[in-house]
Amino acid sequence: MTVAGTAGPAQVASPDIARRESRRRRGKRVDRGYPLFLLPGAALFLVVIAVPFGMNVWISFNRWQGIGPMTWVGLGNYRRLLADSVFWSSFWHNVLLIVAMAVVPTMIGLVVAAALFDYLGKKFGPRTASVLRACLYLPQVMPLAVMGVVWGWILAPGNGVLNSALRDVGLGSLTHDWLGDPKSALYAIMAVMVWIQIGFPLVVFMAGLQRIDPVLYEAAELDGASWARRFRHVTVPQIRPEFYVVLLMCTIAALKAFAPIYVLTHGGPGYSTDIPSYFSYQNFFEKTQVGYGAATATVLALITLIITAVFISLQFRRRDEED
Amino acid sequence: MPNLIGRATRRASVTAHMRNQAAAVMPATGRSRRTTLIAVSLLAATTALTACNSSGSGSSSAKTLTLWHYEAADSAMGLAWSQAVKDFEAAHPGVTVKVETKTFEQLQKTAPMVLNSSNAPDILEYNKGNATAGLLSKQGLLTDLTPQVTQYGWDKKLSSNIAVTSRYSNGTMGSGGWYGIPNYAEYAMVYYNVDLFNKYKVPVPKSFADFTTAMDTFVKAGITPLANAGAEYPAQQYLYDLALSKADPKWVTDYQINGKADFHDAAWSYAANTLTDWVKKGYIAKDSVSLKATDMGSTFESGKSPMMVSGSWWYGTFESEIKNFTWDTFLWPGSGLVPGSGGNLWVVPTKSKNKQLAYDFINTTLQKDVQDIIANKGAVPVAADPADVTDPKAKKLIQNYTTLAASNGLAYYPDWPVPGFYDTLTAATQDLINGKDSNSALGSLQTAYQQGRSQ
Repeated sequence: MTVAGTAGPAQVASPDIARRESRRRRGKRVDRGYPLFLLPGAALFLVVIAVPFGMNVWISFNRWQGIGPMTWVGLGNYRRLLADSVFWSSFWHNVLLIVAMAVVPTMIGLVVAAALFDYLGKKFGPRTASVLRACLYLPQVMPLAVMGVVWGWILAPGNGVLNSALRDVGLGSLTHDWLGDPKSALYAIMAVMVWIQIGFPLVVFMAGLQRIDPVLYEAAELDGASWARRFRHVTVPQIRPEFYVVLLMCTIAALKAFAPIYVLTHGGPGYSTDIPSYFSYQNFFEKTQVGYGAATATVLALITLIITAVFISLQFRRRDEED
Repeated sequence: MPNLIGRATRRASVTAHMRNQAAAVMPATGRSRRTTLIAVSLLAATTALTACNSSGSGSSSAKTLTLWHYEAADSAMGLAWSQAVKDFEAAHPGVTVKVETKTFEQLQKTAPMVLNSSNAPDILEYNKGNATAGLLSKQGLLTDLTPQVTQYGWDKKLSSNIAVTSRYSNGTMGSGGWYGIPNYAEYAMVYYNVDLFNKYKVPVPKSFADFTTAMDTFVKAGITPLANAGAEYPAQQYLYDLALSKADPKWVTDYQINGKADFHDAAWSYAANTLTDWVKKGYIAKDSVSLKATDMGSTFESGKSPMMVSGSWWYGTFESEIKNFTWDTFLWPGSGLVPGSGGNLWVVPTKSKNKQLAYDFINTTLQKDVQDIIANKGAVPVAADPADVTDPKAKKLIQNYTTLAASNGLAYYPDWPVPGFYDTLTAATQDLINGKDSNSALGSLQTAYQQGRSQ
């Protein structure tokens, strides 16, 4: 839209009219060839997303073991879901996982990106900054299953790496069964997820920082702004679009997180690290209560959709305000 | 550091167990059902493939017996079956046995589809249990072997306790037609470190009181007596062992087959309270909650804990891996019932093209020389002659099995009655070890049990 907005005033007096005009003109062309290009995407969407989702919703209204006859139970599975305390506590765990996978990494990523770009990059050269960025991004590249196994050893009770290290530095009193104690298991997983996630915001933010016009920094510097004030008043507002992307993608990643729980705790001890995606998987494939698992998956998909819609509308509103 | 090398080498035996125990009902169900879900989309492709293949394989297969199994070549079963193939080919001149080794996963995922096609093998090894062999029998994919059982006299070799997982009526094990024949059995026992027992002058327990006295002695010496793993099957087997010590065969049938379990009855309440109590007393380490079965094995193998209660699937592993101390076994003292069952089954698909040869092959695997190999390699054969078993430990393993089978002492596994019950049991035992109220843990088991049975 910005393109139309800037091009408008040169041709006609009102930018609004110009925008409408350009849409109309483009609209005509669209009618001819473009729908063809939509076909592959639409077909894929239909086969991979729309039909399975529709089937999932249909299954969620039934009691079904995965084979054999289905029994229609209407909203029965959803009623059961509402009353299932394990499901709701798993939702709360997912909220904490969003904190660990989206909020905290975004904040840390922002500070680290600014420090790498603004300070280390300038002082030690861009190559040093790139190497450090690559190192911090590494956990994003490694397979989650491998990392899960390694973190399992680190957090193991008794002679796990973390406990051994604590004992070696004289902090033996702090040793703990990190993944076995319901009070610490989720926090231990959250810490692992922060470590895994930092790389993504970092890379996106560093790319964003390169986009900022250096003139802005220069001007701020001339006005006597400190690094902190430049960070707050130049860096942060300038890379706002990156914020939305990072937060949205990380939140969705947190909502569909499955592997860390599957590899590290299987939702335990008890149900203290259970999350909806794992809960759904268990019902679907292990308990063969497919209808109930489908109901969980549907609710999870709806929540993800709502969160995405909120994020995108916020982003557009903000952009419109800026325009 | 956890024993990394041990992990890798032990994985084979533990996987073997997992598929025997937990998978018997649970993940297998999931897998085969997920397959069915995918099947719809794959149907066209499968049909096309079958159409191509059916023309070629018909006539030539008369002299070939196609056999599928998923045992490692150097495992007890792998070795025994390659002997069986040799014996069989010698007895059937002109017939070749074409052995195809599949993975367990592969068979679980594709069995219903493949067995329904003309690509079905003539005979295959398949997992026992309602959700696996039971399901296939219900779908009409397996041959009812009842006439052959009588004809070959297999029922005389397999005790009624073992036969439970061979017989299915409308997909439910326990009675009805014979749909599979096992070659081996498995059961839980107490493994103990003879050196540590001698060092602390602990006699081998003969009664439950002896057992707790022995554990007290070790606790006093600062040693955790029982190796445990809360994140996988071991902890729930402790719970089940304790419940079984207060149960009778009717209780087992009610729990396993009739769907009539009361988790607040005397046996379960005793088991839950005792387990919590044992953690408090230091018999079981509290920080074993997040450990996996392989970690439990490492704890025992490293000599950290003098005892470990688990299944016969550890036997071969310990025989080859424990070099620095002497170990032996005894049955859970003061209980006539222990977790255990018949092993995985030989089944003959309905679409098998060489049924008679398949029956003959099953019969070959139940002969003495094949069964003796199973015995001497540290597994429990169903029909070996103890007199032919040379290894003294293996002899004891078989004697204990004979005792249990004769008294219907194999009580199957706690997660069998309901698909996915394994996870509920894991969660509940983790809660118990962490000191949560036993009533709420047992309550969650009751809810999941009923929910599962009503599906």
